Amino acid sequence: MILRDYIVSAASEINAGGGSNGFNPTNLGVSDFSLVATTLDTNNAYKFMSGIEGMDRFGTGPVRSAYFMLASTELQSDFDQLTSGTGGFLSQWNYPTNASALPSEYGSVFNIRILTSSEAPVARNAASNSVGTLSDVYYNTVLGKQAITHINQDGYSMNLIYRDPYYSGMLAQNATLAVKFAQAQAITQDTAIRNLLSTRLSNLGV
Amino acid sequence: MTEYSRMAKGSYIVSGGTLGVSAPSVKVINLPFVPDYVELINYTQAITPAQHGIPFAFWDASVPPVTVSSVQYDTIAEVFNATPVLTTDSVRVGGGISAFSAGLALQYGARKQIIGATKANPVVFNVTAHGYSVGDIVVLEGLYQSSSTGMPQIAGMPFRISAVTDADHFSIVWDATGSNYTALSGSPVGSFVKKVLYPYLYEPGVNFIEAITLGTTTTIVTTTPHNYVVGQEIAFRIPNAWGTIELNSLPNVQSPGSPIYGYVVSVTDNQTFVCSINSSSYSAFVVNQPVTSVPGLTFPQVVAVGDVNTGGTLISSGSPLYPSPEFPTSTLRVPTINGPAIRGAFVNNTSAGFVIGAGASRTDTTSFVGGSDGDRIEWRAYLHDYSSP
Repeated sequence: MILRDYIVSAASEINAGGGSNGFNPTNLGVSDFSLVATTLDTNNAYKFMSGIEGMDRFGTGPVRSAYFMLASTELQSDFDQLTSGTGGFLSQWNYPTNASALPSEYGSVFNIRILTSSEAPVARNAASNSVGTLSDVYYNTVLGKQAITHINQDGYSMNLIYRDPYYSGMLAQNATLAVKFAQAQAITQDTAIRNLLSTRLSNLGV
Repeated sequence: MTEYSRMAKGSYIVSGGTLGVSAPSVKVINLPFVPDYVELINYTQAITPAQHGIPFAFWDASVPPVTVSSVQYDTIAEVFNATPVLTTDSVRVGGGISAFSAGLALQYGARKQIIGATKANPVVFNVTAHGYSVGDIVVLEGLYQSSSTGMPQIAGMPFRISAVTDADHFSIVWDATGSNYTALSGSPVGSFVKKVLYPYLYEPGVNFIEAITLGTTTTIVTTTPHNYVVGQEIAFRIPNAWGTIELNSLPNVQSPGSPIYGYVVSVTDNQTFVCSINSSSYSAFVVNQPVTSVPGLTFPQVVAVGDVNTGGTLISSGSPLYPSPEFPTSTLRVPTINGPAIRGAFVNNTSAGFVIGAGASRTDTTSFVGGSDGDRIEWRAYLHDYSSP
């Protein structure tokens, strides 16, 4: 969560404009993925993953070498609808092989492979269109391999501390559970990271 | 019963404000917990009673605010009247004592309807009982007067409130005098303002550009405090529509693969700095964006890069042995709760504690709970194991 909010606070933003819902930012369009990947390519960012060569399997298609995008699970229904004449969303299930797919990987669009999480940053009701309808704004972080790091200080990264009730207080009523860490965050290459802000096309019905 | 209670106390000398005339600066007290009860003792005003003085004040999180004439009050103050004898008074929610827990980004205050806005620089917004103070960071939403008019070009960008005219009007600095901006009136549908509750969690963050002055060095004005220090290496992200794209850190054509960066050579104030890039021949910065460009309009930005961030504050004569980073970086600096940070890293500025606001009391509207310049205030903060209710 610290790294998530740190990136939201410190990395530059691009407002999605490839969608059609009339908000600023718009919902995600395939051109937004193309724009961000082009920006990172132009800035000589390293891609995380090599491509996956096409195979003779029904319903599958080759996957390009790719950057990672960290996105909200609430956008998954939007991803499912992303199509264009030159390709669009490819579900992880339609990769030629799932060997390199990560557990949280939902699919890919052009040169970006999408990882989804319910902990992805969302600003609720943060955009309003010309007729006064409100929409959530999602912070989709697209990053190259050399973009960020964290620095562990004092030779350790993170300690999970548990003290049972006997040691946590003289009345032995409650246990203590804590996490202690000494870390600093750094964007090692700012040209290799972008927050792609978007709204949502689909109504989640929740 | 008090096994896990927390208690803390401390004192400080008030900066700014004049007894019976004006409020001091808002005082932030960082603590390793979120208090549920705070009391203040203004030793100076208790020892030398004078009209408008507030020697004692109290706040309890478990007591619901009391509403008087549609305004909520939650801080109890004892105020000297003209005699001077102590009387009781109160301070509105947010203007007196209030606790905070700044941990997560993208946390906002209540959304408030915008009634109108001027086509001017600065832009003056009309919002009933906005409750904001100078220095608050707000984000605007919508701002359409019609589907093709208004000022939605600045919706979504954070702004520092530059002035508060009265309880219903506040200002932000932005040049909205251009032909593409239209004044707002009649409570346009979907036009809201909300306060960014914790704008400085990680510093120096991404900054949005309000103005650029071209020259042998380049002067940048940001919409919120930039939090840069002299020597900070910076990069620009200026979309084509905003003009001065030559500042962008695209690969350097003279040294392929090397981005073009600049350095902060001086800090003018909390929202203005001078960068080393010679922009004499660059394109002018354009703020007069058409409304039709809004869906997908990306804002001009400047970000911190490189090995000198504000993460570290050097030890100097008279400084603490391990000085904490302080934000903003020009005036009204507030130390973070962190120890010395690694120079080159960004600062984690998450914190908890309480705030002594700049609000006046309800009955005697020229008495301020924060005291006046030079007063010594002792504070005591508690987090109780047990509270009923």
